[in-house]
Order: sequence, then structure tokens, then C-alpha cells
Amino acid sequence: MIKDINFYLAGYALKSLLRDKSKNIFIFIVFSLLVALLASTFFLSASMRAEYHQLIKNYPDIVLTNQRAMQDIPYNTDVVNRVLNLSGVSSTVGRVYGKYAFSQAETVFTLLGIDAFENYANPLLNKLNKKYSLDDNAMLVSSSVATILKQNYYKEYFNFIKEDGSRQKVQIADTFYTPKSSADANLIVMPNELVRKIFGFKKSEFTDIAIMVQNREEIGFIAGKLQEEFPNAKITLKEDLLREYENIYNFRSGFFLTVFVIAFFTFFIIIYDKLSGPNSAQKREIGILKAIGWRVEDILKAKLYEGILISLSAYIFGIILALIYVYIFKAPYLKAIFLNNYTLLSDYRLVFHIDIQTVVLLFFVSVPLYIAATIIPSWRVATLDADEVMR
Amino acid sequence: MITLKNVVKQYGNSLALDSVSLKLEEGELVVLKGVSGSGKSTILSLIAGLLKPTSGEVVVDGKKISKLPDHFAALYRRDNIGFIFQKYNLIADLSVKENVLLPLVPMNLPREELESLLEKTLSSLNIKAKEKSLVKNLSGGEQQRVAIARALVNNPKIIIADEPTANLDEKLSLEFIEMLRAMKSKNRTIIVATHDPLFFNLDFVDRVIEVQKAKILSCL
Amino acid sequence: MSFSKLFFLLLLLSPFAFSAEISQAIKEKKLYPMGEKIFTKKCPNLEVNNYKSYEQLLKALQNHSACGTLNTKYSQALALYLWDIKRVEKIDALQEIKISKEDKCQVCGMYLHYYPNWVCEIDYPKGEVYKFDGIKDMMQFYFNHKKGITVILVKDYYTLKTIDAREAFYVIRSDVLGPMGNEFIPFRDKKSATTFSLDHRGKSPLSFKALTEKMVRSID
Repeated sequence: MIKDINFYLAGYALKSLLRDKSKNIFIFIVFSLLVALLASTFFLSASMRAEYHQLIKNYPDIVLTNQRAMQDIPYNTDVVNRVLNLSGVSSTVGRVYGKYAFSQAETVFTLLGIDAFENYANPLLNKLNKKYSLDDNAMLVSSSVATILKQNYYKEYFNFIKEDGSRQKVQIADTFYTPKSSADANLIVMPNELVRKIFGFKKSEFTDIAIMVQNREEIGFIAGKLQEEFPNAKITLKEDLLREYENIYNFRSGFFLTVFVIAFFTFFIIIYDKLSGPNSAQKREIGILKAIGWRVEDILKAKLYEGILISLSAYIFGIILALIYVYIFKAPYLKAIFLNNYTLLSDYRLVFHIDIQTVVLLFFVSVPLYIAATIIPSWRVATLDADEVMR
Repeated sequence: MITLKNVVKQYGNSLALDSVSLKLEEGELVVLKGVSGSGKSTILSLIAGLLKPTSGEVVVDGKKISKLPDHFAALYRRDNIGFIFQKYNLIADLSVKENVLLPLVPMNLPREELESLLEKTLSSLNIKAKEKSLVKNLSGGEQQRVAIARALVNNPKIIIADEPTANLDEKLSLEFIEMLRAMKSKNRTIIVATHDPLFFNLDFVDRVIEVQKAKILSCL
Repeated sequence: MSFSKLFFLLLLLSPFAFSAEISQAIKEKKLYPMGEKIFTKKCPNLEVNNYKSYEQLLKALQNHSACGTLNTKYSQALALYLWDIKRVEKIDALQEIKISKEDKCQVCGMYLHYYPNWVCEIDYPKGEVYKFDGIKDMMQFYFNHKKGITVILVKDYYTLKTIDAREAFYVIRSDVLGPMGNEFIPFRDKKSATTFSLDHRGKSPLSFKALTEKMVRSID
């Protein structure tokens, strides 16, 4: 296939492009920027979607939260057993957790309670349970928390300030490392009872109930039974979270639409100029070529090379720009627009997750269109009689 | 080997050629004499396959080129014709080498072959030294040589020159005539259309054909 | 009966009363898994057969002599796990039904890997195995190939664990549809089958023996 490329013809095409330098450079830049813009939005959204799915993967199928006057309140142990008795529920775990404001450092810690012998949906908790046997008064902290505590002169223990103003001294047993993704920052893991003491929960209270259902088809049904049995409860389904995210970030959302429309119009501005066809100097040149023995197909092939040279290189350049912008510079302004809507992914690591489909789609929408716009207007001129040249 | 049979060429209301018949042998160097507008350029275009006659036939080497579709006409030109235009019709922003190369470009020949053809042609016309210069930066005489080189590069059987000395001073015109003499060979038919009197009494010219008002007057 | 004897009887009965309060569901879903975790982590060398009764085991755990310091909840979980699960000879767990990308339903030809929750199989001697995308299709096959069957496997609807079809209970005409439409939904015990039939408006649970050819044909 490489042999079929006529390098001399390509050289001629390149020279033709260079003869109209400023215009072609302008086209190249605009084309690349367009591709870069679109590709960046695609990369960002694909990456965030992947990250979100990864995050949600560890969520329980159903979360039951008790409410009074539609305000969240804790649950008691016997609820756990009542839920467990429902057919189809495979596991039920009472979760104890909360957020602690460490005003000194102006940060917020997330305290996750664990029971040494429970099986959690969150693999981090299971991993820690396996590795450690925590004392009643000890905790494990994430590396970010350890840093904050050290900066505030807490190295071996920390004093939590309780509801009534008294202190709860907790030993720091060890530090664990979490990949720097969304909700994992500033995590502290400690026994359930300790969390209860710090926040003032009663001895058998849970923040909420995490429920796993084996057969996916039954989830909706069980959610219904739960609502009947616990009329006050707020029921959160994992599937609903996923659907909610998709609705915000599928391609019909306002943001994407705006970007597409802008890109569309800009693209057609570029093409419009090409569509008007060769100018008189170019027409003359085509006449000369025909006179010295170039067939129509040779002329069109040269135009093809011209089109490919600009559009393909601009496309590749645009993709590279997008990759650098999103994955190396972490997409500064674009990220802010996306995240505005979704606080779940506050400061997250951008997974390198390329959606090949959109990259290919972008290619087929831009490059062939441009090439066609280059070739087709020249076709008519190329078929004119070359004797014009003689006059 | 070149025959025009009762060729008529009409452009709208004006008659460029009025039933012209002509026969040229292989290896002849023929001068078409006539003022501008007499129809001699039209004859050249017909022989080169750039035009089709309104009626009548043009046959070259046994092939009816007047009936060739555009695609094959271009191939015919590429393989058989070397055309030196009146205004040279070079591409000013390309280099000498690129201009001379132009007829061969679509053929996708192997590199060595192309390079050697170029080498020969450029050297024989003494412009090898300037092969990288842009044509627009050359003198008139140098440009003329580039035009000739381009016409010769594909080793054509027929060379056609349209008013080659119209824009040249006497010195350069005489230079051209010398180059023309060098080009003459057994296998090459050369047709020059001109009203420059320098061409009318040359010893190496086989025939002078007079064209006047769309008709051929004499076939000397 | 004297007061002391009554008291003693109550004391004796209390563990039973206590453990009778805990439903089988809670035991299976929470207490056994928890007990297994405690066992593995804190005292994997504890030999349950050294204890003559459940109460003795429980007491030993509660006074921290058998497995370190354990609170009431953990002691009970561990005791239940050891007594109910570990002590009994491990029955060979039924082979999970394995599905590859090429497996097709023997009766209708659909690819099985799209419906992993619904697959079922009939095993014959010498490794002869047939798989199906639902019990309806499987029963069609079953009635014509009853001879020599070693085991029939289906998946319990709620837990998706593989169970013996001939010990299972089935609910038909519920609002839950399988890949081939109306289905026989299998359950590992009558209680969960009844719960399902009430929840999803199906007919009363049927044992395997109660399934007839006529039922299979008329289910759609």
C-alpha cells in the first residue's frame, strides 16, 4: 500500500498548500482546535463516566436511610434483622459513619466505622478488616489525613471533640494508602462504637443500612417492599444513581449540544471557502497540468493528497492536543464546567480511558467531509478543456 | 505520420479552421507561418489533442486522436507530446526541477529513473546549476530553457512550439533556434508556429507551411 | 413442679428459645458468614467436636476460654457457625453450572451466556450434559429423556445458587418472565417459593414431582 502512494504527487500537493501559506495554516489551526475541543469533551466525559462507574461499583444495591420529617436520622439494630428476613436480600449491613469538621486545619474528615467481622460492599473496608485487628480506641487514617494531622502536631493520636465539648482521644494505629480518587480523600477508619461515641450516636444506632440483592431483577421489587415496611425511609438504588449520572452526561445535555453546534458552524465556515472552488490562478494551473498530460484523475488525486495532508494532520494534531490538555494538564476550565453539576467527583484522578468509538466518529465526521470539499469543486474545473491555457 | 483530414474548427460564430488538410512525416521539422488569429495555434492544439475538431479527423501514428476521450487524450499528450507554450506556462512558485518534473509526476516512476531523466534534460539545456531556484527568480532566457526542458523531459515523439520567440530579443531568439537545431532528430517531429521571420529561411527546416485566414495556403 | 425446677427448665430452654428467635434467613445471611470470619481470624484451631452441646460451646466462648475475648454477638455468631456448619460433614457442594460463550440451549438454540441467571442443566453418566435457558425448555427435554439421569441442576431465584431441581419448589404464572416467556421459577425451599408467589402473583408452589407434561405445554 505504501508503494501506491505517489510521493511526487504528494510533494506537489504539499507545495501547492505551501504556496497559499497563510490561508492553509489558518485552516490547519482552526481544524485542529475544533478537533481538540470536541475530543477533549469526549475524553473528559468518558473518563469521568469510567471513574464514576468505578466508584459506584462499590456501592450497595440499596441504601435505606431513616427519616423523620424528611430529615435523615439513625436506625436501630432490629431494622437490620427485619430487612435480612426479606427473600432475595443477600446481605444487610448497618453502616456507621459521618463527617467530622477539623476546624483547626479547615478540612473535613470522613469517619467510616467498621465491624471487625462484617462483609462490606466497599473493598477498602474489607481489605483493612483482613489486615488489622483494631483496638477499641484505635483508628486507621488515609495518607492525606496523616499529613494533615502531622502538620497540626498530632503524630500518635488525635483528640476528637464530641458533642458536649469533651475530648475523645484516639490512637493512630496505622496509615493506609488510597488511590487519589473522589470520596477516598481524608478517610479515617475506626470501630463502629468509636464513631458512635464521637458523634453521639446511641449504642445500637446506624447511620444507614446497606443492602445487597443477589438477583438484579428483584431489586426494584424489594425496594417496593422496603418502602411498604418502612414508610419513613429514604430508599436509594444504585441503578438510580447510575441513571442520574447518565442523564446529566449523555450527549443530549445542553453543554454538549452547545459545543457541537459551535463546532459544526465553525467547520462549515472553513469548508465554505473550499466549496467555492479554485480561483483563477488555480484554474490556470489546472489547465497547464492538463496540457502537459495530466488526466482528470491525476488532478483529483493531487487534490485528494492536499485534502488529506491538511485534514489528517490537523486531526491528529488536534487529538494529541486534546490528550495533552485532558490527561497532562488535567483539563482546567473544562473540568470546572463538568464538575459544577456533580459534586460526587470533587477532586478526582482522570483515568486514561479512551472511548475509541468517539475518536473514530470524530474522524469520519471531519476528515472525509473536508477532503470532499476540496476535491468536488475542483472536479468541474478539471474536466474543462485545457485549451483555455492557450489563449 | 501526422495527418489532418478536412478539419473544420468553429468557435461559435467564428471559423478558426476551414476544412484544412495536412500531412507531416516523421522526423520533419515544420514551421507554420502566419499572423496571430490565422489558425496556426488551433492546428497545434489539434495535433496535441487539446482540442477536438468540429468536423474532420486528426490522425497521429495511426491513432484517431480527434476521437479520443479526455482521459486517453491526456495520456496521449503525456506520452507523445512536448509542448512549448508561448507564455511558457511555467508555475512561477515552483523550482526549476519541480517544473520540469511536472509531466512525469502522475506516472509514479521509480526514483532512479526520474532522477536520471531529469539529470539528462537539465544538463542538456544548461540549467542544472539552477535546478533549485524558483522559476519566478529566473531571467527570460533561463525560463525559456526550463519550458523547453519540460517539453523534452518525457522524450516525446512530437514537439510543438507556439510562438517561442515572441517575447525574446534577437540574441535569445537565435539561441533558441540553435537549441531547435539540436533537437532535430530522426525520431522526432517538430512543429513550430511563428510569425518571426528568423525562422523562414533556416537550413534545417524541412517545410514552411503558410496559414492564412483559416486555410492552408501553401505546402512548401 | 417446684419453683426451682421451673427456673432450671427455663434456664435450660432459654438458649433454645433464644436461638429459635433467630430466623434461618438471618443465620444464613449474616451469622454464618460472620462466624466463619471470626473463626478464620481469631481461632482457626478450635475443634468444634470437642464440645458435646451447643450450649457448652456457647458458654465456653462467652467466658473467653475458647476463643479469646468475644462480645455476645460475636460469640453467638461463632457458636452458630461452628455448630451448624463446621460440625456437620461438608456435603459436596453442587457443581456450579458453567456457561461458556458457545453454549446453546439444547431445545431452542439460544446462546446461554446472555441469561446466566436462568440456565439449568441435566447431567447423564459419562459426562453427558445438556444445558437450557429455562426450566420450561428443560422440562420439554426431560420428559423425553428420563432414563439414566444422574442429577438435574437449577438456580434458586433469590440467591442464584445452584440447587438440586428435584428438591426444589416451583412457581408458575407469576409476573416474572424468563428469556422464553412464562417460566417455572425455582426455589430451594417452600417458604421462599410461597413468599415469591404472593409477591409476584404466581400460583402456589409445586414440587418437582408435581410438574407434568401438560403443564409445560400449556404454560404459554
